Amino acid sequence: MARPAVEMRSVSRRFGPIEALADASLSAYPGEVHALLGENGAGKTTLMRVLCGMLRPDGGEVLVEDRRLPPGGTRAAAAAGIGMVHQHFTLLPSLTVAENVALGTREGSGLRLALDRVHARLAELERVTGLPVDAGAPVAGLSVGAKQRVEILKALYRDPRVLVLDEPTTVLGPQEVDWLFGVLRSLVAGGRTVLLIGHKLDEILRVADRVTVLRRGRTVLEAARQAVDAPGLARAMIGRETTPAGRSAQAVGGAAGERVARLEVVGVRGEDGRMAVREVNLEVRRGEIVGIGGVEGNGQRELALVLSGRLRPSSGTADCPTTVSLIPQDRSAGGLVPGFDLAENTALAFHDDDAHRRGPLIDWAAMRRTAQEIVTGFDVRVPGWRATARSLSGGNRQKLLVGRELARAPDLLVAENPMRGLDIAAAAFLRDKLVELKRGNPSVAEVGGAGGRPAHAPPGIVLFSTDLDEVLDLADRVFVLVRGRLIPVPEEERNPAGMGRLMLGSAGA
Amino acid sequence: MIRRALRARLGSRWIGPLAAGAVALLAAALLAAAGLALAGYEPVAAGRALVSGAFGSWERFASITLVRATPLILTGLAVALAFRAGVWNIGAEGQLYAGAVAAVWVGLAFPGAPAWLLLPGAMAAAAVAGGLWTLVPVGLKFRAGVGEVITTILMNFVAIHTVAWLVHGPLQEARGVFPQTDPVALAARLPRLGSGRLHAGFPVAVVLAGALWWLLRHSAWGFRVRAVGASARAAAVSGRIHTGRVVLGAFLLSGMLAGLAGGVEVAGVTFALYENLSPGYGYTAIAVALLAGLNPVAVLLAAGFFGVLQAGAAAMQRDVGVPAVWVSAIEALVILAVVAADRFLRRGVAGKGGG
Repeated sequence: MARPAVEMRSVSRRFGPIEALADASLSAYPGEVHALLGENGAGKTTLMRVLCGMLRPDGGEVLVEDRRLPPGGTRAAAAAGIGMVHQHFTLLPSLTVAENVALGTREGSGLRLALDRVHARLAELERVTGLPVDAGAPVAGLSVGAKQRVEILKALYRDPRVLVLDEPTTVLGPQEVDWLFGVLRSLVAGGRTVLLIGHKLDEILRVADRVTVLRRGRTVLEAARQAVDAPGLARAMIGRETTPAGRSAQAVGGAAGERVARLEVVGVRGEDGRMAVREVNLEVRRGEIVGIGGVEGNGQRELALVLSGRLRPSSGTADCPTTVSLIPQDRSAGGLVPGFDLAENTALAFHDDDAHRRGPLIDWAAMRRTAQEIVTGFDVRVPGWRATARSLSGGNRQKLLVGRELARAPDLLVAENPMRGLDIAAAAFLRDKLVELKRGNPSVAEVGGAGGRPAHAPPGIVLFSTDLDEVLDLADRVFVLVRGRLIPVPEEERNPAGMGRLMLGSAGA
Repeated sequence: MIRRALRARLGSRWIGPLAAGAVALLAAALLAAAGLALAGYEPVAAGRALVSGAFGSWERFASITLVRATPLILTGLAVALAFRAGVWNIGAEGQLYAGAVAAVWVGLAFPGAPAWLLLPGAMAAAAVAGGLWTLVPVGLKFRAGVGEVITTILMNFVAIHTVAWLVHGPLQEARGVFPQTDPVALAARLPRLGSGRLHAGFPVAVVLAGALWWLLRHSAWGFRVRAVGASARAAAVSGRIHTGRVVLGAFLLSGMLAGLAGGVEVAGVTFALYENLSPGYGYTAIAVALLAGLNPVAVLLAAGFFGVLQAGAAAMQRDVGVPAVWVSAIEALVILAVVAADRFLRRGVAGKGGG
């Protein structure tokens, strides 16, 4: 085989008590799409940040085309031809596409920025890759898919030999994913190397030539695409057998109970002043899961906040119960306080709960017990009891948050992409939990008797997800949210392709 | 390697800030010594004068250092509480003056009232006045979204100039000679502790520091304050915390603590109102609160430290001839060193594991 474009040998890196990378190795060759797989917290993003020079490794070495890369320098990595498309957008909204692309490049001399040259090169790139962009448009007004295109073009602009993409598909609809994969294939056909971080196995297997699997900071598998299958990869990722995460047959169905929330012609203004949600009507009943699909940035955040009573709608009326659990999308700035420890983060939801206080004082012993139950019940891996949320990996933060929100016994649960970031076992566990929650606890329901509402009547559940399979799998009623409008999905369109069509069809509205 | 070893040992919430403070003090002391030497003074003699001026005897320590520290504790608590809630109250100086005015007014207006009524009344009036002084910044913040940094600073000027007008006009002493008020009634003064000038305001401030620390740690209210300050968004998203209410409460209480500082200063030290009654306590309070890592108990130590500096300044000037402005410079160096040490020790610890 030819010499590798990128070779990482025995890379290690600690964050305080956490060993993010222990012995991670990776070899990616020119002309291949190389998938980097692993559970959350396995060290995928950390490894790629080492490659890009954003993190200095504690040990090990990085070679690009047989030349050793000095550790911890983004310039050296960029000069060696490494480009990265980050999981979260790194664009400045008030600048135009071309200005964003020009950031960090050396276009122009002295004080003058040669934007015309940027425009010219962008036009050329657009032609070569088939990625359409309006170079003069401010980024703020672009759709999420278009922003993703800009991120990719920004990376391609420097003509990288190696392009790293960190979970690029989460913000894309099914058709856009196909299109992105087409672009990646054409890139590697030109002799480049694409490193693709992903978590959806079937998606990754469609495009990858080779895969590397990380588990707890170590490389546990490196193989060609033909040599592996989804169950084998899943096994490698979590280190043991799993039940297949297939469609849970009994998820859908069941009697819906009394209404717990109602939105009438609700409109919500987003932070940028535009209407993020328009004329939404929705009723949610106990014991049902309402699934809302759609790509990110179509008003999910605003609608979820209104449904959960965290935000007042700009127009229309929202009638919501008092106890609403919310699993917000923006988990880094959302549900948890990074500097708080486990008990304190639990207290965010329980500090005024009668079982967790004595008069005006917080009963920290009770709070710790509840936190312990969440940690145990959801298999949150914590380095120690006083661990702050900041010291947990993304997936474990997510488990802590989900566990806390489910523990509140809400009347309504609003969840935005609750499975995202969870490993396979945890996702399966949460899926079962949601179904169980929706059905209510039968023994408790019996005690309640006829007429009176049982103490633990099942909540209504609203599930926002960019993963259409997840929505189709779990939801009793299915909608798509497109540019702030909620569109019911008719029975005959209840499949990913049909929902994708609905999402695209209304895109221009 | 040293840094990594340090970081590994800094897991505890206590050691981190304390170590940062110690490193900062050392750095500032070295910088100050170098500066003094360059300016032609004898650093060791100056240091000795500073220490003996602040600690020379119990009498001196209590009467000068602790008396100086008292308003710094109260305003330091005010700033620490506000900052803990994410409220950037830079207006402790103005709130202190508002409290001083209220305490003097009560102390002058009811000369016949008994001490058990007049003194608490004056202190309560001072706290309320300090709280009221935040109302303009509060109103502008909530109604118009104006940042409180600017409005609280501006209200400082309003307070300072209002006091100047009061002592030249409506509240000027009966003799009309000096721009100051008459002394307040004896019944409106804080009792002295021991034979020196140390007054009951000091133990009150210490108790308040302990109480605030305890409330922040154990009460639901304190938890809400910390949550809103640490992440207003996470607090709001939790659905259990009215961030606006928490911010409002912390802002008002912060103003009340600063107002009480003014009342205590009047009732314990000056007994009258005059211009420049505060040598910038409300501004030094920001340094006190930051040096203390916004921890109310640590505010006691930080305020004590600045009390030492200010008490030692006079001795340094008297014995070695070092101008008192040097002490201001040293204070500034301490703040810079603390910020630097804080960043130095914290960097990397906050790094997040991804993937």
